[in-house]
Amino acid sequence: MKYIAKKPKEGINVSDVHPLVEAGTLVVGLTAIFIAIVLLLVFLIEAALYFVPAETEAELFADWLPEDLVTISPSDDRLYEAQMLVNRLSAHWADAPYTFRVEVDDSDLANAMALPGGLIIVTQGLLDEVESENELAFVLGHELGHFRNRDHLRALGRGIVLSLFFAVVTGNDVAGIGINVADVTLRGFNRDQESDADEFGLAVVYAEYGHVDEAWRLFERWDEQRNGTTGIVTYLATHPDAGDRVEQLERLAQRQQWPAEGEVIPLKW
Amino acid sequence: MEDTVNSFSLFFNYGLPILLLVFAYFIGNMIEKGHFRNIRKREDAVHGFPVVSFDTMPEEWRAGSSTMVTGSIVISLDYFKRVIAGLRGLIGGRIKTYEPLLERARREALLRMTESAKEQGYDAVFNVRLETSRLANARRDGNGTAGVEMLAFGTAVKFAGRIG
Ligand SMILES: [Zn+2]
Repeated sequence: MKYIAKKPKEGINVSDVHPLVEAGTLVVGLTAIFIAIVLLLVFLIEAALYFVPAETEAELFADWLPEDLVTISPSDDRLYEAQMLVNRLSAHWADAPYTFRVEVDDSDLANAMALPGGLIIVTQGLLDEVESENELAFVLGHELGHFRNRDHLRALGRGIVLSLFFAVVTGNDVAGIGINVADVTLRGFNRDQESDADEFGLAVVYAEYGHVDEAWRLFERWDEQRNGTTGIVTYLATHPDAGDRVEQLERLAQRQQWPAEGEVIPLKW
Repeated sequence: MEDTVNSFSLFFNYGLPILLLVFAYFIGNMIEKGHFRNIRKREDAVHGFPVVSFDTMPEEWRAGSSTMVTGSIVISLDYFKRVIAGLRGLIGGRIKTYEPLLERARREALLRMTESAKEQGYDAVFNVRLETSRLANARRDGNGTAGVEMLAFGTAVKFAGRIG
């Protein structure tokens, strides 16, 4: 046998695809898949909301608490007062399907959120920021508005679905996914949901006090502080810009002819 | 003030990785092209030197002496390739950006082995084998590959007489 030297054939083991073409195909394709998945999920969540009435939701989540919730002492006055206030406010929502529960998270960052089954979580930071009962009433009324429109389930559904999606993508354990306050905090609602909730909240405040004085005073203060130097208020990360909101609320109150002056009730703690 | 903070975080979250990606692509591409040029040149230089994978020596080769020769290379992938491969990992399929990398590794390892045989005055190499091993972890959690080793080895022989 005669040995004949041959030069190796080039590129047989290398695909003839430019790396940038490969990158482009992957990015465009995966983005399309991602968008399709998100749209499908949005549809599924809406379908679930349609088929699961609020009464069923309230029953399912009756005793439920988020896993990572760290509450303040149950004997704290602020918890009791907040719960009492919610009870009074929700009385203005005729045949509300929920029995509202209030929990106070011990975080120093001001925030409030609506969670399944009529659970309202306010942070200690928020309770320290409000200066009158009327201010707190509006924040709580706003959360009631989210329940009424069932925004809380939309946001939550989106969040769970996204964490599931990322768990699958990154190969993490899907079983470990729970509902965390931390996730909810990072999830905002859209502008329309927020102004609808604001409208409901202000209506509730008016129904309770007969005027809307000081209702949005908290946001005015935050708006003023923004121009100075302050820490970041997480409530603002998940809610619209305080300044825009104040303007919207003023206009709403004028339109509805809700009195802007009235007796402001001090906090009881 | 807040705008500056925002644009800073935006830059660190999105701008920096993209910049890195672009940078990695161009540098990686340049190095790869250079390496392939170098490989072709050296392959031309050892052209005609018998390197075969038979596990027994061809009968016509009357060996005077023999030794084992090895050639090994450790090669790493650039950030661009790694990111693209990561995207590919989501849906499966050929990881095309890895192919040139392994091609370079194979040919370089074979070249080093052949060059070493030639340098020591041997006339041919038989029973050539290639082996790969994952070398190190790129990340602390033990995932990710920092590089692979490609090892080529074979038996180099010195001919006692001319090949028949
Ligand atoms: Zn809201």
